[in-house]
Amino acid sequence: MRSLGREFIIIAILVCLGMGFSLATGRSPLPWAAPEIGPGEIRLIDAKALDLIWVDARNEEDFAKAHIPEAILLNEENWDTGLINLMEAWLSIPRPMVIYCADASCGTSKKIAERLREALPEAEIYTLKGGWESWE
Amino acid sequence: MGMRQRLPIISLIARLVLAGVFVTAALPKIQDPVAFGQSIIAYRLIEGDLVGWTALALPWLELICAIGLLMPWLKRASAIWIAGLLLVFITLHASAWARGLDIDCGCFGESDGSGINYSLSILRNTALLAAVSYLIWLDFAQKSPLKLKT
Repeated sequence: MRSLGREFIIIAILVCLGMGFSLATGRSPLPWAAPEIGPGEIRLIDAKALDLIWVDARNEEDFAKAHIPEAILLNEENWDTGLINLMEAWLSIPRPMVIYCADASCGTSKKIAERLREALPEAEIYTLKGGWESWE
Repeated sequence: MGMRQRLPIISLIARLVLAGVFVTAALPKIQDPVAFGQSIIAYRLIEGDLVGWTALALPWLELICAIGLLMPWLKRASAIWIAGLLLVFITLHASAWARGLDIDCGCFGESDGSGINYSLSILRNTALLAAVSYLIWLDFAQKSPLKLKT
């Protein structure tokens, strides 16, 4: 039994050395400094696991170039028509909504999310961390 | 060739297969712990710093135990660790399956995005668990003073 205990200790030491190597070479970020997601945000990988409604908060031109499949265009300029389209999709099958804008630095998705939360207080609404850039 | 003569060959094959699978699983995760962390998050069971620690430590544990299976001075503890890991993986996949999560396995690092085949993953891990259980039994039966003479 003592030799088995020794085996476990050796494995623990080797794992610690490996972790040290990953941290020292920069392969791994510091676990305690892992970036947190903000309130109301969702990561792309989590969003992909859900059946949801994508809402594109970028401008019409960017939306026309490319967008997430079946995403609904909703921004300040087309608020009324976009909201009607979104309501139709949501009322037919109520699902969480994920709003995205161009990238992590854009704030449009958060503004649209705030307006939507006021308009649809019962809806589950998130903003996509990293925006369209993370999808690309 | 009798069963007793075949045992070392079966044991060696089991060790090589297990070591191969776990080394293959560990290396991409060591290369890209961030992507592995994303796979862990998708299971929706742990969050925060624990994700980072798991993504950092688990691949190294897999790699060292895989190599340890082939080392006479590490093979017993390595086999016990691998059995434990396989039990955790089977439970995780069953849990994600039951919750209807459409996720990437994360088992062998970055996935091609085609999603996980739960039944296949559970079946594969169960077969590996059977193999490592056999190795544990073999190692401890050989060490036991109460070993039956055949």
